[in-house]
Amino acid sequence: MSALAGNRFPRSGYVTRSSSSGLADVLDVLLDKGLVIDIFLRVSLVGIELLTVDARIVIASVDTYLRFAEAVNRLDIGESSSEGLPDLIEDMTQNGAQSKTKGVLEGAKESLFGSSGDDDNDDDGDSSSRSKPRSSSRSRSRSSSRGR
Amino acid sequence: MATYVYGIVESTARAPKARGIGGAPLAMVAGDGAAALVSDLPDGDVRMGRDEVLMHAEVLDQALAQGTVLPMRFGVVMDGSDDVRRQLLERHGEDLRNQLADLAGKVEVNVRAVYEEDVVLREVVSEDPEIARLREAVRGRSEDAAYYERIRLGELVAQAIEAKRERDAQAIIDVLAPETLAVDVGAPAHERVVLSVSFLVDRERLEKFDEVLEAVARDQVGRIRFKLTGPRAPHSFVELGRGP
Repeated sequence: MSALAGNRFPRSGYVTRSSSSGLADVLDVLLDKGLVIDIFLRVSLVGIELLTVDARIVIASVDTYLRFAEAVNRLDIGESSSEGLPDLIEDMTQNGAQSKTKGVLEGAKESLFGSSGDDDNDDDGDSSSRSKPRSSSRSRSRSSSRGR
Repeated sequence: MATYVYGIVESTARAPKARGIGGAPLAMVAGDGAAALVSDLPDGDVRMGRDEVLMHAEVLDQALAQGTVLPMRFGVVMDGSDDVRRQLLERHGEDLRNQLADLAGKVEVNVRAVYEEDVVLREVVSEDPEIARLREAVRGRSEDAAYYERIRLGELVAQAIEAKRERDAQAIIDVLAPETLAVDVGAPAHERVVLSVSFLVDRERLEKFDEVLEAVARDQVGRIRFKLTGPRAPHSFVELGRGP
């Protein structure tokens, strides 16, 4: 439900469109972006640290390399690399649109609320996160400082 | 009485009808040329979880539908409306008025582009002879026997994807940026993300922006998926100085 009815994008075509009211989309911006001032109090923000995980992945890690290696090995390209480029391209166009991710490059969730669901799954049709990358939870606790 | 602050709006704006966090009605604290959109919080601890984040977002959406809004980050609570007036509206008055003027008629949209896994991996194998060779070398061997070759293979794949990401991300930004007023590129959240970028767009240009993005997505169909979020308040394009 967007209050921006007059400004909604047309819904069609190759782009997935979303109003900004889904939790996953909202978390990205509301917790990290926007005005803050240096004098304000924060009443105890109960449970706020549960809201985000730092989903940044260390790509240069042995774990990641092994997962990539497994991913390319599992590709069905044919036994030898003799498959010509034209075949490959045809393969790609055939498989591309409905190719299912196989989990190796699965993304971290930006949110811990798997059940909040719909908007989390925007990246892939079946983001079952079989190999969830390590993510360290970033504590969001803020000391409650009384304004001067 | 603690006061939760959602954002800054024009001083002529009226409070949206939505309920605020904790159930209190929304209210305005008026200042000179800018007003704060607030609601009262009960004293003591207040639960701040997913529902409250969504409420904050909903309030901003409603405010944006009525005019310009400078969104506050989630969780800003001040010590009553006098504190809001003095420490926010008066102390930062010039800054707020300037940004309200600058951002009038502008909204933020976010574009996220994500690789189709298999397609980009196939590209990498077909384009890099060393990756293709290593791939053949480790196939059929036990994980232990080919351990270091597999690490090397994965490292090369990661580097190749990173190089692709940089090229693809820049190409996408180069096409979209001319339709926009400002660009804020975020860090990719996971390995398949090509880019996550927020744009500041003139409301009048939203449709054109959408058309251009649609064309980009059509060119990349089957290879990169695109998601467009918004329009929303310009979270990525507001900032408050330290004040006088």
